[in-house]
Amino acid sequence: MRIGAWAAAVLAGAFLVFGPSLVAQQVADPGFQSVGRGAPLLVDINEGAGDGGGRGGRGGGRGNQGTPPGVTPEGIEALPVDLFTTTDFYKDRALWSDQRYFRCNTSTAIENIWGMGRGSNRLGDDPPRTAAWGPCDQDYPREAIVSPYPFQTAQEHYEALLEETRGRGGPTEHTYATVPNDWTGRYFSSGQHWYNMGRVQVPTVLSVLTEEYQTRMVQEAYHQGVTNKPQWQSQYCWPEGFMRRWHAAAVRDHQILVTPELVQISAGVADNFMTNIHIGREFEMDGVVPRLGADVPRWYGETIGFWDNDVLITWTSNIQGWKVHAATEHSNKMQTVEIYTPYRDDNGVLQGLQQEAIFYDPEAFVEPVRIVRNYAKRSGLAEGDPLVFIECLQTIYEIDGTATPISPGQVIDYKVRDMMGRPWAQIWEEYWEHGMERPEEEDVFSFD
Amino acid sequence: MNRHTHVTGLLGVALVATIVLAVPVKAHHSFAMYDMGATRVFTGVVDRVDPAVNHLGIFFAVMNEARDGVLRNEKGEPVIWTVEMGGSAQMARQGVSVNTFPRGTVFSVALHPLRNGEPAGSREGPMFKCPDRNSRPALGKHCDSVEGHVAIGSGTLPTPTK
Repeated sequence: MRIGAWAAAVLAGAFLVFGPSLVAQQVADPGFQSVGRGAPLLVDINEGAGDGGGRGGRGGGRGNQGTPPGVTPEGIEALPVDLFTTTDFYKDRALWSDQRYFRCNTSTAIENIWGMGRGSNRLGDDPPRTAAWGPCDQDYPREAIVSPYPFQTAQEHYEALLEETRGRGGPTEHTYATVPNDWTGRYFSSGQHWYNMGRVQVPTVLSVLTEEYQTRMVQEAYHQGVTNKPQWQSQYCWPEGFMRRWHAAAVRDHQILVTPELVQISAGVADNFMTNIHIGREFEMDGVVPRLGADVPRWYGETIGFWDNDVLITWTSNIQGWKVHAATEHSNKMQTVEIYTPYRDDNGVLQGLQQEAIFYDPEAFVEPVRIVRNYAKRSGLAEGDPLVFIECLQTIYEIDGTATPISPGQVIDYKVRDMMGRPWAQIWEEYWEHGMERPEEEDVFSFD
Repeated sequence: MNRHTHVTGLLGVALVATIVLAVPVKAHHSFAMYDMGATRVFTGVVDRVDPAVNHLGIFFAVMNEARDGVLRNEKGEPVIWTVEMGGSAQMARQGVSVNTFPRGTVFSVALHPLRNGEPAGSREGPMFKCPDRNSRPALGKHCDSVEGHVAIGSGTLPTPTK
């Protein structure tokens, strides 16, 4: 089902005028009242000002600079203690829901506060105490983040869409002659959505997280904005993780290959992302989570899907829990339902794909959330730069809790981390949280 | 046995041996680091199953002889060993995965230890999972002695060489 011609024109026009980094967010109208796709997006991330104190730029990423360091915004009363003055952020949980605790900085702005270029000093002369404020009147509404659909699980959602499609005579069983071959090609996808974390206030994001995952997000905000000990996954050549598929810095160029049995989406900047959508297959349902292969969580999950004419509907499960820096962590329970809808110009030429993704993770999210974004088609495979397969060779190592570039020949002490146990947090907790009262972990090595 | 049958038999043995012994050749690394002539048997508590390493690894805290606690170092920290086994998918099909061996699981395993004395080894023979944390083996025993245990692989726990 195609997006409306008007919307296609808007999207195509925006692409031509602004380039691929700014295409209006638009949920594809399926042309009928669907049980689980096409619900309008309440707010286009491109509307309004920029980003809550991050770097300059457009909509989903950057923009408003907030106030200078040391200056509290007019009409705002600072909290007696906040992220930049606390001695133990764990004790401040009651303040986390107040955007003043983060000085109205988005998590992207907090992440950038120590790493800004010259002339962009947002730390002041006594950091972190003098860290600058972001714009307190800017946010992205929670209502535009949470899923507009009634489903509590990806299985319910996927099966409802499948049943709906069956009621309409589907799913479409494509052959090589009928599969939408013009999908095959190169695409660009920007971070024009809330999960890029450039416009949404931290408390708004925290409001969709469970208590444990709230703690994890604030922990990272503290170590990015206060101790200046960022632990990004790709700095150590660690895996990017599933949710980085939706983060602008991790994926820009995409390659899509379409066959009747398999649709493959590949991307990657610092590491490789590959989504293999197995058309018409069904998950094994006898494990902890649905899966296609062995009972092994996969970094990018396993995906099944079906066609409703030229709309592709997918379900991804069996995902390895991990994190996105400056965003959220997710668990092994994460599952998604994704709908890919083509948008075309008046001549029927494919302009791109609109992706509506709904995320189900009962360990991380208090309710499902949605991300809407566009893949703007740049070319077929016969032109453009080829997909790059990335091999990451580590040059930055953790030295006494600090990420440090190491030159050949240097000798270092190196502590091997438990990679399945939030290695980034192990570093922070060992070196940079002395005296803090963390929630106690279960002691599995003692017996009563 | 005529000569033809004898040669065929030898070829058959060689083929089977090739298939069986080829596993390390197909592996992600040499197993020469392990002392294949030595066997140690442990009952331990799972700290972590890591499916993302060369071969699936279980990091575990070694239980004491009384089976009422774990061995600890001078800092009071659990003494952690690693047992390496087959690839993650292969092991999952045998019932060893992140989901079937969650943190805190009590299990018994034999392993060929590292030659250099570091606390790691390559799995040898079957493993046995205790039914739950409250159903632990008696003094000096292993999970294969506990009613309701789950066996991973066939046979019995190898006899330790030391």
